[in-house]
Amino acid sequence: MMTDAAKLSPMRTRRAPALASWDTAVGHALMIFVSLLCVFPIYWMIVTSLRPSNAIFSTNLWPDAASLDNYAYALQAVPMTRMLTNTFLVSLAVTLVQLLTGILAGYAFARWRFRGSAILFGAIALTWLVPLQVVMIPNYLLVARLGMIDTLGALILPHIASAFAIMLLAQSMRSFPTEVVEAARMDGATHWEILWQVIVPNLRGTIASLAILIFITTWNEYFWPLLLTRSTENSVVQIGLQMFISSEGTQWGPLMAASTMASLPILLIYLLLQRQVIASFMKSGLR
Amino acid sequence: MAFVSIRDLRKSYGETETLHGLNLAFDEGEFVVIVGPSGCGKSTLLRMIAGLESVTAGEIAIGGEVVNDYDPADRGCAMVFQNYALYPHMTVAQNIGYPLKLAKVPRAEREQRVRAAAEVLGLTDYLDRRPKQLSGGQRQRVAMGRAIVRQPGLFLFDEPLSNLDAKMRVQMRIEIRRLHRRLKATSVLVTHDQVEAMTMADRLVVMNGGRIEQIGSPSEIYARPASTFVAGFLGAPAMNLIPARSDEGGAIRPDVAPGTALPSSLPLPPGKPFILGVRPEDLSVLPSDRPGLAARIDLIEDLGGMRVAHCQIPEGYASAVLTRDDMVREGMPVSLRPDPERMHAFSAQTGKRFSHERAATGSMKEEAGLFMQSA
Repeated sequence: MMTDAAKLSPMRTRRAPALASWDTAVGHALMIFVSLLCVFPIYWMIVTSLRPSNAIFSTNLWPDAASLDNYAYALQAVPMTRMLTNTFLVSLAVTLVQLLTGILAGYAFARWRFRGSAILFGAIALTWLVPLQVVMIPNYLLVARLGMIDTLGALILPHIASAFAIMLLAQSMRSFPTEVVEAARMDGATHWEILWQVIVPNLRGTIASLAILIFITTWNEYFWPLLLTRSTENSVVQIGLQMFISSEGTQWGPLMAASTMASLPILLIYLLLQRQVIASFMKSGLR
Repeated sequence: MAFVSIRDLRKSYGETETLHGLNLAFDEGEFVVIVGPSGCGKSTLLRMIAGLESVTAGEIAIGGEVVNDYDPADRGCAMVFQNYALYPHMTVAQNIGYPLKLAKVPRAEREQRVRAAAEVLGLTDYLDRRPKQLSGGQRQRVAMGRAIVRQPGLFLFDEPLSNLDAKMRVQMRIEIRRLHRRLKATSVLVTHDQVEAMTMADRLVVMNGGRIEQIGSPSEIYARPASTFVAGFLGAPAMNLIPARSDEGGAIRPDVAPGTALPSSLPLPPGKPFILGVRPEDLSVLPSDRPGLAARIDLIEDLGGMRVAHCQIPEGYASAVLTRDDMVREGMPVSLRPDPERMHAFSAQTGKRFSHERAATGSMKEEAGLFMQSA
C-alpha cells in the first residue's frame, strides 16, 4: 500500500530502491573483499602445505602437483599427535577450571554485597590489563620452585582464573532477573542450588561463548609453553610448529602442513559452532 | 491471637526511612490487600514479611513466632511475583515441583502433588511446556501453582495482576479469590489498583508515604475514609474534596462560592475551615435555577453502565454520577447539590477525618480511625 508521503513524492520513491540496492551492492562487494583478505592466508597455508618443496614459492593459486608428503614428513619429524593431544588436554582443562572459578567468583560479586567488594572487583579487572610479560618471570620462578617445569600442569596453573571470565560472568549474573533468584530463595534453595540449578542453566549461551573463547586462546598460546617445556613429549602444538623454523632455514612445506593440522581443531569448532563463536567474540568486544 | 502481627516495623535505606513504624495484625484465613500509590512502601512491607528485605527495627511474627531473622524459606510463606519469576529453563511441572524437590520430597509424592496443584489451576495440559510457551495468565497460574504446592500458611502476592491485560486481570482476580476460598490460607496481596483492592480484600490496608493511613473492610473504608488521602485514593471516580466552612445555621459554604449554602447534617462548629468530601454518586446534578453549587458540565464520560459528569466549579472540578433521568449535555450550566446525609468532613490542616460524634460536641477532634495505627 502506498503511504501519503509516497504519493506526494513519486521521484523519491522511484529512486530510493535503486539507491538502496546500489548501497547494498557496494556494501557486499566490500565485505566480500575483506572476507577474501581474511580467508586468503588460510587458503595459502593449505595450498603451500600441499606443494612439493621445489615448488614451494610458486605463485600459482592452485598447487600443480598436490601431495601429502609434507604432512607425512611433519608427523614423522615431530610427535604431532602427542602434541595435539597435549594441547587439547591443556586447553580443555584450562577452559573447565577457568569457567568454574569464573562462575563461583561471578556469583559472589553479582549476588553478595560485602565490604570492599567493589575494590576487589576493580582489582580483578585491573589484572586484565597486566600483560603476560610482566608476570612471566614471577610465574616461572613459582613454577620452578614447585618443581613443575616441563609439565602440562604448569601450563594450566597460571590460567585457573581469569579476570575476563569473572567479569563477563559477574555481568551476566547481575543482569539475571532478581525476582527469579528471590523466587528460588522463597522456594528454599541455598546459594549453591540457586547458582547451579537456576542461574547456570540460564546462562548456557554466555558460558558456551566463553568456553569457546578460552579454548581458542589457550590453544593458540605460544610464549608460556615455550618458556616451560623442555621435552617434545610435554610440548604443545604451537611449540611443535616452531621446530620447523631453524637457523638453517625454514621448512615451509612441513611448517604449513603442521600449521594446518594445528588449526584443524579450531577450524572444526568454527564450522560446528559458527554462531556461538561469533557471538562470543562480539561479547568480548574483539572482532 | 493474630496469625501475622507486625509491631512498630521500620525500614531504612541508609539515612532514609521508608517505613515509619507500622503496626498491623491479621487473622488466619484472612485475605488482606495492601494498597497505596507507588513508592508508599507496600512492596517493601510485603518483602519484609517474606524475608527478602531485612528489618531495620520492629518485629514481624508469623503464627506467633518472631521471624525477623528467619530465612525466607523458613517462614512458611510462599510468594507470587509481579513478573511471575518462573524458572525459564524448567517445564511447568518442574517449576511447580521445584520447591518440593528442594525439600527432598520423594519423587512419587512430588509428582502427585504437582498434578493436584495443576488440576486446581487448570494447568494439566501444559505440564510439559516451558514458561515462554505460555500466555501471561497461564504463567501467573504456574507461579501460583509453585506457591500452593508447598501448602504454605501464608501467601504473599506482589502486584500479581499488573502485567496482565484488562480482561485477564478481572479473570485472575476472581480465580485468586476462588483459590483463597478453597485453600483458606492467609493471603496478603499488594496492589496499586484500587478496584483490585476493593474487590479482593477481606481487609484493606491503605498506605501512603511509608505509613498506614487506614485499615478496615473495603466497605468500611469506602463509607468512612480516615483521611483526604484515602478518600481520594479509593473510589472511581474519586471523592470530591472541596474546602469549605460551616455557617451559623449549620449549612456548608464552599470557599470557592461563599454565597452558596449547602444544607448539611454535619454537626460542625461555625466558621472553622475544613475539607468537605462528597462521593460523585452522592452529588446531584440539578438544573441551574435550583439551589446548589453553580457549575458547568465540562465533559461527560459514558461508561456504559453509568455516566460521569466532570463539572467545572469556580475553582477546579467536581465529578458527579448521572442518573438515567439526568438530561444534561456538555457545556450546560447546572447546580450541584450534595446529599446532606452523606457528607464527609476532614481537617483542613491534617486531612484527617472529623468524627461526627466528636464534632458535635464542638471540640472538632480528628477521628482516631477505626483501626488506626499508633504512629
